[in-house]
Amino acid sequence: MNITKEKIGEFLVLTLYGRVDTNNFNELEQAIGQVFEADEKKIVLNCSGLNYISSSGLRIFLTALKKVNAMHGTLHLCSMQPVIKEIFDISGFSTIFQIFDTQKEALE
Amino acid sequence: MKEVFEIENKIEALSILAGKIEELAEKWELSMPLTMNLNLVLEEAVSNVIFYAFNDHQKHLIQISLALENKILTVEIVDDGIPFDPLSQKLPDITLPVEERPIGGLGILLILKIMDQVSYSRQNNQNRLTLVKNI
Repeated sequence: MNITKEKIGEFLVLTLYGRVDTNNFNELEQAIGQVFEADEKKIVLNCSGLNYISSSGLRIFLTALKKVNAMHGTLHLCSMQPVIKEIFDISGFSTIFQIFDTQKEALE
Repeated sequence: MKEVFEIENKIEALSILAGKIEELAEKWELSMPLTMNLNLVLEEAVSNVIFYAFNDHQKHLIQISLALENKILTVEIVDDGIPFDPLSQKLPDITLPVEERPIGGLGILLILKIMDQVSYSRQNNQNRLTLVKNI
């Protein structure tokens, strides 16, 4: 997978590309860990390029959300492909994450 | 149509598995969402086997078979590890608030939600997990 970072206003936007699976979930875990270390509390994960996620990847999302909530930060997800949104729906994640259709809305 | 192959009981083999599914999806003309879901359930089921069915640190082969007949897709995963029934795992309560939401158990939940029938049996010292989806 590839991850790009961009600071837009108060938000740090991470855009994810490719797969997050049992083989590479630690890459996402590290990237998010660095964001927390840098004391960023407003985060957008742009999922436009994400085309595969398994439970190993979902665990990283859930762990990040728990951490963000504990430090009273904000974690917004946006631009999910329908197949990924479906996985979030059936995992019961769509009810706990704030998911926006576009990055523009996620930044508001 | 039927395909059978074997992969080793190591996590890196999951990439080989993903490649095999891509090849098969092209050959059988499966849709993109179905291919992703098929890859997902296989990753979840096979990684469970790799993590929990072996405790001897030896190389084992996990047999995977996929069959498509009359719009019914059947996947079978057979291994010679210790008895391991993924269906006996406790499912996470997905109605809990974030703070109480468990981190584990999502793999089997995904398998159960994506597939139409899931069954486990222990025969001849082998674990056999059968997954069926009407497509």
